[in-house]
Amino acid sequence: MVQYAAELDSSFAALADPTRRGILQRLGRSDASISDLAASFDMTLTGMKKHVQILEGAGLATTSKVGRVRRCMLGPRKLEDASAWIAEYRRLWEARLDRFGAALEKQRKRRTARRQEKRK
Amino acid sequence: MNETSAPAATGRIVLERTYRARVEELWELWTTKKGLESWWGPEGFRVEVHHIEARVGGALHYEMIADAPEQIEAMKRTGQATSHKVKGTFTELKLHQRLAITQLIDFVAGVKPYHTTAVVEFSQSRDRVRMVITLDALHDAEWTKRAQMGWTSQLGKLDKRFQS
Repeated sequence: MVQYAAELDSSFAALADPTRRGILQRLGRSDASISDLAASFDMTLTGMKKHVQILEGAGLATTSKVGRVRRCMLGPRKLEDASAWIAEYRRLWEARLDRFGAALEKQRKRRTARRQEKRK
Repeated sequence: MNETSAPAATGRIVLERTYRARVEELWELWTTKKGLESWWGPEGFRVEVHHIEARVGGALHYEMIADAPEQIEAMKRTGQATSHKVKGTFTELKLHQRLAITQLIDFVAGVKPYHTTAVVEFSQSRDRVRMVITLDALHDAEWTKRAQMGWTSQLGKLDKRFQS
């Protein structure tokens, strides 16, 4: 019980931070290196390493060293049925919002180009 | 512990993104044919919007068409049609501030048709727009029950931990 409670505590603490939740969402889509993650979250390598260590301590993420690169992936802790489904639904929307961001960027570029064209 | 609040707490997903843009630009992506078709997806699908009327009670009818080869293959293998027509409605609309889209999902094998709603809120501050999306993820009694059980048992474990 004490052991279980400690695990539960560590995962709640790990999940209490929005960046760490974001990292798990990111890893849900694909594995990533620490430097990939640091770049996506606009953070220093040292800062990102700390977050990953906390997730690793809670069993929510694991890492392995491949050459000089440390790869991160989702950890062994399995989600229960319902939370797995919610996670899946969330992933669908995360991917959808990635495309939303890309579409917004494309729309902006197109308009800027058109404005510049007009000025010529 | 308040048991009745459990399903709502587990069934709701909140996503938040911030973009360097004007709110009008984001609004356009949600409320026009061209806008929605450029991103709605989901992965492996393209979308053709057949009818869109951005007003409260206005229709959003679209077709989701599998277009990635592996997606088409997977759907054929599991005996599913490779395209689905979806009927949605704009259930809330407050220009450049808030909108809600409710969709009828009636094509999932073995699952009774259900409605699902996405509420989107926009707030502009200087050159950035914050977009918050709230989704109700749990749509049928079975999933709600399962979620409730899962959540209740987790909270039960927590309760025990505090009592020990």
